[in-house]
Amino acid sequence: MIPQFSYMKASSLDEAVKHAAGKGACIHAGGTDLLGCLRDGVFSADTLVSISRLAKLKGIQETADGGLRIGALTTIAEVAASPVMAKSFTALAQAASEVASPQLRNQGTIGGNLCQKPRCWYYRGEFHCVRKGGDTCYAAEGENQYHAIFGADGTCYYVHPSDTAPALISLGAVVVTQGKSGSKKIALEKFFVRPGDDPLKETVLEPGEIVTHILLPKPTPGLRSSYRKVRARRSWDFALAGVALAVGFTGKRVQSARVVLSGAAPTPWRLPEVEKAIVGTELDDATIEKISLLAVRGAEPLEKNAYKIPMFKGVIQEQIQALRGA
Amino acid sequence: MKQTEDKMYIDPELVVPETPHPGKPPKPWEKTHVIGKKIVRVDAYQRVSGAARYPSDMILPDMLYGAILRCPHPNAHIKKVDTSKAEKMPGVRTVISGNTPRMNPDFTYQGQGKTKVFDSHCRFEGDCVAAVAAETPYQAWDAVRAIEVEYETLPFVVDELKSLDAKAPKVHGTGNTVKEEKYERGDTAKGFREADKILEMEFRSECQLHTPLERHGCVARWDGDLLTLWESTQGAFIIQREMAQLLNMPMAKVRVIGHYMGGGFGSKLQVSKFTVIAAFLAKATGRPVKMFLTREETFLAVGNRPPAKMKLKAGVRKDGTLTALEFFGIGASGAYPAGGVQLLDWQIRDLYNCPNVRCAGTDVYINAGPARAFRAPGHPQASWALEQMMDALAQALAMDPVELRLKNVPAVSQARGGIPYTSTGLKECLREGAKAFGWDKRKKELARENGKSHIKTGIGMAGGLWFLGGGFGPATVIVKLYSDGSANLNMGAADLGTGFKTVAAMIVSEELGLRLDKIQIENADTGTTQFTMMSGGSKTTPVDGSAVRHAAAHVKQKLLAMAAKDLKLSVADLAIKGGTVVSKTDSSKQKKITEISEFKELSVIVGIGNKDPNPKGKAIEPFAAQFCEVKVNTKTGELEIVRFVASQDSGRIMNRYTYDNQVIGGITMGIGFAATEGRVLDGKQTGKLCNKSWHDYKLPTALDVPPDIESAPVELIDNEANVIGAKGLGEPVTIPTAAAIANAVYNAVGIRFTETPLSPLRICQLLAERSKKG
Amino acid sequence: MGSESEEKQCSCKHHKERSDEREGDGGQGISRRGFIASMGAGAAAIATAGRLSAEQKEEAIKSGELAKISLRVNGRTHRMLVEPRWSLLFVIRDRLGLTGIKEGCERGECGSCTVLINGEPRYACMTLAVEAEGMEITTLEGLMKGEELGPVQRAFVEEDAFQCGYCTPGQIMAVEGLLRHSPNPTIEEIRVGVGGNLCRCGAYRNIFRAAQRAAELKSGKGGKS
Repeated sequence: MIPQFSYMKASSLDEAVKHAAGKGACIHAGGTDLLGCLRDGVFSADTLVSISRLAKLKGIQETADGGLRIGALTTIAEVAASPVMAKSFTALAQAASEVASPQLRNQGTIGGNLCQKPRCWYYRGEFHCVRKGGDTCYAAEGENQYHAIFGADGTCYYVHPSDTAPALISLGAVVVTQGKSGSKKIALEKFFVRPGDDPLKETVLEPGEIVTHILLPKPTPGLRSSYRKVRARRSWDFALAGVALAVGFTGKRVQSARVVLSGAAPTPWRLPEVEKAIVGTELDDATIEKISLLAVRGAEPLEKNAYKIPMFKGVIQEQIQALRGA
Repeated sequence: MKQTEDKMYIDPELVVPETPHPGKPPKPWEKTHVIGKKIVRVDAYQRVSGAARYPSDMILPDMLYGAILRCPHPNAHIKKVDTSKAEKMPGVRTVISGNTPRMNPDFTYQGQGKTKVFDSHCRFEGDCVAAVAAETPYQAWDAVRAIEVEYETLPFVVDELKSLDAKAPKVHGTGNTVKEEKYERGDTAKGFREADKILEMEFRSECQLHTPLERHGCVARWDGDLLTLWESTQGAFIIQREMAQLLNMPMAKVRVIGHYMGGGFGSKLQVSKFTVIAAFLAKATGRPVKMFLTREETFLAVGNRPPAKMKLKAGVRKDGTLTALEFFGIGASGAYPAGGVQLLDWQIRDLYNCPNVRCAGTDVYINAGPARAFRAPGHPQASWALEQMMDALAQALAMDPVELRLKNVPAVSQARGGIPYTSTGLKECLREGAKAFGWDKRKKELARENGKSHIKTGIGMAGGLWFLGGGFGPATVIVKLYSDGSANLNMGAADLGTGFKTVAAMIVSEELGLRLDKIQIENADTGTTQFTMMSGGSKTTPVDGSAVRHAAAHVKQKLLAMAAKDLKLSVADLAIKGGTVVSKTDSSKQKKITEISEFKELSVIVGIGNKDPNPKGKAIEPFAAQFCEVKVNTKTGELEIVRFVASQDSGRIMNRYTYDNQVIGGITMGIGFAATEGRVLDGKQTGKLCNKSWHDYKLPTALDVPPDIESAPVELIDNEANVIGAKGLGEPVTIPTAAAIANAVYNAVGIRFTETPLSPLRICQLLAERSKKG
Repeated sequence: MGSESEEKQCSCKHHKERSDEREGDGGQGISRRGFIASMGAGAAAIATAGRLSAEQKEEAIKSGELAKISLRVNGRTHRMLVEPRWSLLFVIRDRLGLTGIKEGCERGECGSCTVLINGEPRYACMTLAVEAEGMEITTLEGLMKGEELGPVQRAFVEEDAFQCGYCTPGQIMAVEGLLRHSPNPTIEEIRVGVGGNLCRCGAYRNIFRAAQRAAELKSGKGGKS
C-alpha cells in the first residue's frame, strides 16, 4: 500500500515545472510506473505533481517539415494506433504496440515510457543497491539472467526497460523539455545517462524539468523501420533482446542505417559500427552474418545472461532479413 | 396452498433411476438425462455479474484492515520489536507481536515442525513478526512500516542441492534432511542386465508458485465466544478444525464460511498464520478484521511446488518392454516439514509395467517458505523426468513413442502390490489421443518438410496417471426435497471453480427429476452445511458427488415409504415416474409426488447421504495422454505452443462443459510449469526472493497458450469406483503437459531440455552451445 | 460509505456520447478515429473548464488530508472524501461497495481490477481516485441493466469462460473495451486484447470463444444484445 504524499493537479506547464522542482516532488503523468515504485518503496515522494490534465501535451501532430510532434502525454495506445505512425514510423508503432498490456498502453504515456525507472528486480525489491545510493549492484554477482551485456560500466547492470526509446532513437527523435530555465531540445540518444556517469540517474532531466514533446524528423524516402523484441512471455513482458532498425534504401542498396538494441544495456544501445557496416551493402546473407557478429562484439555477459549473445545475433539476423525482404 | 401442475418443479419428462432398497447403494446409471451434457454452471450468473461475494469482497460494518510485518531475511533471530511508534499512528487500533500476552500460540505446518505464530527465530523470508489493525489498509501499512525490529541475521541455505553439504547452515540446528523415502520391487540389477538399452539422465524442475488470483486471506469476526471466519479456502472444515486446535477452542465455536473462492490449487487446503493473526486482531479490537495478504506475501509464505532434482535410469529390451527403473529425487520442503518429495516417485512406480523398480527420495530443509500441496503433488515433476526418458528410449530404439508406451501399459497397480484397477484407460487415452491429434500423419509430414525455415516444428506426447482417483471421505450431504418439488442441496464442499456445484445439482436433478434451476445449493459453511474434507486431491466429484447421489436416493426411499402408506402397497412394488409414484404391477395405482399425504403434511423430506468406502483391494486411478505441436525459433529461442490435444480417462464425464474447462486449465497450468514459471532466489547473496511479482514471476498469458486446446476424452464409466462412475480430473490434466512440450521441442530441434522453465533464455543458450560444439 | 450519490444528468456532450454507447448503441456513427478525436476534444474541454477551479485550489492536497472529489461511476456521480493516495480500486470496492471488479495484485500485473475509463480498459489499482475525477468510469456492474446481464457477460456464461471466476470481471471488461474498438476482432486481436488479464485457472481458450460469441451478440447475431 502506497505511503502518504501530497498531491496537486497542475493546471499549466509553468505551474507543473514550479512544483516539480520542489523537494521530494515527482511528476505524475500516466502513473503506471510511478505508483508501482512508490508502492514498492523504491523511492518516496512528498508531493505528486500531476500533469495528466495538460491538454497541450497530448496528441500527435504532423509538423510543417513532414515530421511528427508527439505530446509527451499521448498514450502508448494512441501512438500504436496512429495510422501515420504505422505507415511512416513503423518501428515506433510496432514498439508501442508491444509495450506491456492493453490496459497499461491505454494509461501509460510516451513521455513516461522514456522516463520509466529500471525494472531490475534488485532495484524494485528490498535491496539497497547502487542505484538507490548503496554500494552494491546485486545483479553483478547474483541473479542476472535479465541483465545487461553492454554499457553497465561495471556499476549497474539493469537493462533499460523502454521499447519505444530504441525505436524513437532509430528514427532520430528529439525530446523537448520544459524546465525552470526554459525549453530545451535534446537528441533522445543523449537523453539517457550511463551508470558510469551517474548511477542514480537514468535521464539527463534536471529537477522540475518535464518532457513535453517528442519530435520526429520526416522519414527519408526509402526508409524502412521495424522493432521486434524477444521476451520470456509472449505478452506483457520486457525485452530479453530487442532491436529497432531504421534503414534507408535506394533500390536494394542501403543508404543509411540506425540500429538500436533494447534489453542490452542500461540505456537504449545504439550500434554505430553495425550501422557503418550496413551502409553501402545490399544486405546479402554474408553481410547479415557479419554484422550480427559485429553487433555482439565487446559484449560482457554475466554468469546467467550469456544467452543474450546468440539471441541478439539471432534477432538481428531475423529482422534485417525481414527488412530486406519488406 | 394448492400445488398446480404448472408450479410443480419436477420435470415430468425426466425418467429417474430406480430407487435402491434401504441400506443398498443405488445401481449404476444406465442412461442419463442430465449427467454428461453440456450444462451451464448453476452459479454462472453470480460469477459474471459480480453478485458472487468472495471472502475478499466482504465488507462488514465497523470493519478494520489487518496487515502483517514479515521478516525480510531468510534466517534471522528477532532481538527486539518496538511497536510504540506504530501504535500512535493515525487510524491504528492495535499492534500485536511476539511480545503480546496470550497472542502467540504454537503453530505447526500440516501438523509437523513446531513453531510460534510470531517466532523469534524466522527461518524464511516472509515469516510473521508483528501485525496491525487499522481503519484503512493504507493506515495499516503505514503502521507496519513504522514498526522497528532489530534482527540478528544468520547464515542461510536456499538451494536444495547445497542443503545437504556438510558445511551448509542448518535450518533447524540438526541436519537438513527432513526425511528419506524408499521404495523397491523386484531386482533392478537383474533388470538392467536384461536390458538391451540403458539410459540415464538427470532432470530438474524449478519451484512453482500457486498464485491463485484471489489472494489468501480472511475476514474474522467475534460474537462473544463465537469466531466467524470468511476465508478463501478449499477446506472450510479443515480451517475450522485447525483453528480450534490452535486457539484451544471448541470446534463448534469456530464457523468458517467460504462460499466462493478465487482459486487455490492446493495452497488453500490448510490453515495459515494470517488466519490466527486476524482472529487475534479482531479479539484485541473488538471489531471485525479483514486480513488479505498482499500479492508479494502470497509469493513468500503460502506454499509452492518444491523444486526437484531427479536422476532416472531406465533399461529396456529391443521390443520396448521396460526391464528396470531407478529413480532418485531431492525435493525441498522449505523451512518446515512440508512434503518436499511427497508422491515424487509415484509415476515411476505405477505408470508403466516394470518388474524391477527402485526409488529413493530425500526431502530437505532450506530457508524458504514451506511447500504446500500443488495440483498433483510430485506428479508433474516426475512426469518431466519419466516421460522425457520414455521419449529418449523410443528414440534409442527407433520406436514410435506412443507405441513404446502401449508396450508397457500395466494391468494392475504395481505400486500397491499388484492389486487391480477399478478401470484403466491408459491404452485408450494413448490411442484415442493419437488419433484425435493425427499423430502418425503429422509425424510423416514433419519428417518430410521440417528443415528450411529457422522456425522448426515438432510434436511430442506424454502419458500420465494420478495416484488418487477415488478420493477420500468422510463426506455427508443433505438433500431436502420440498413438497413443491424444489430442493435444497446442502454440502460442505467448496467449488474451487471446477464446477462441482453444478455437477452436484445435476446429480440431484438426474436422481429426482428436478429442474436444475429449482435446486438451491448451500455449501462450504461449517455452521450450516455438512462435514466433508477439503476440496483437493481431485476428490470432490468422486467423493462428495457420490454422497449427493446417496442423499438423493435416500429422499426417494423416504418418498416411496410415504407413498406406500397412501397407496397401501409395499415399497418394493413402487417406482417413480414423471413426478408420480406408480405401482410396478398395476399402473392404475399411482399418486402424484406432491399429493402424498405425509409429504404434504411434513412439507419436506430430508435425505442424508454419506460417501461409502472405496472398494477394497482395488486401485482407483485416472489416466491421461497428451499431445502437442510446437514451433521453436532457432534464432531467438522462442517457443510457441501451437496446439494441444488431451485424452483423459477420469471415468464418467459429469458435465462436458466443466470437464473440458478443467482439461484446458490443467494444460495451461502445465504450460506455465514447463515454459514460463520458476521461483528465483538470490542464493549467492541475500537468499531473498527476486521474483515476487507477476512481472517477474511469469504466469502464462493469453498469448502463451495455443488458441485452441482440444479435449478428446476417453469415457470409461467406472462403476466399481463409486456410485456415480467418475474418477478425479483436476489433477491428472496437468501431469503430462510439461513433458509433452519438452518432447515436442526435442522433436523440433533435437535437444533434450531437462530443466524447467523451457524459456527462450535456456533454449537460446543450449542451441548456441550445440552449434559451438558443431 | 462516505459518499453521496446522485443521479445527475451530465451536461457535457462527451459524457452523453459515452452513456449512449453504453446503452448498446456502440457503432452509432463513432468510428475508431472519430472516437479518439472526440475523446481528445472532450478531455481538452474538461481541462479548460477545470482550469479556474484548479487554480482556485492550487494548494496541494496535503498528505494525510482528505479531499472532496466527485467520481462518475456507471453513470452516477458520487461525491466523496478521499486521501490522495487512495486507488480508484480501493474507492470503488471498499468505499462504494462495488465489489464486482476484484483486487488480485494491486500493482498492475493481473487485470482483475480492469474498468473502462472513458471507454478504455485500464487498471483501477494503478489509477489514483483523484486522477479519475471528471472521467466516465464503468465497472462490471455498469454492464448490467438492472439484473440483466450485458452481452459480454452472457457470452462468458454460454462459453463457460471461467473457472473460479475471480479474474472474470476483469476479463469481461477487457473484452468489452476491445469490442467497443473492434466489433469483429480476429482471434489474434482477442488474444492481444485479453493479454493484460491473467487467468490462473487457465480458461483462456473459453475466454477467446466468449469474446467471439460476445461480438456476435453485440452485433445482433445469435440473439438480442
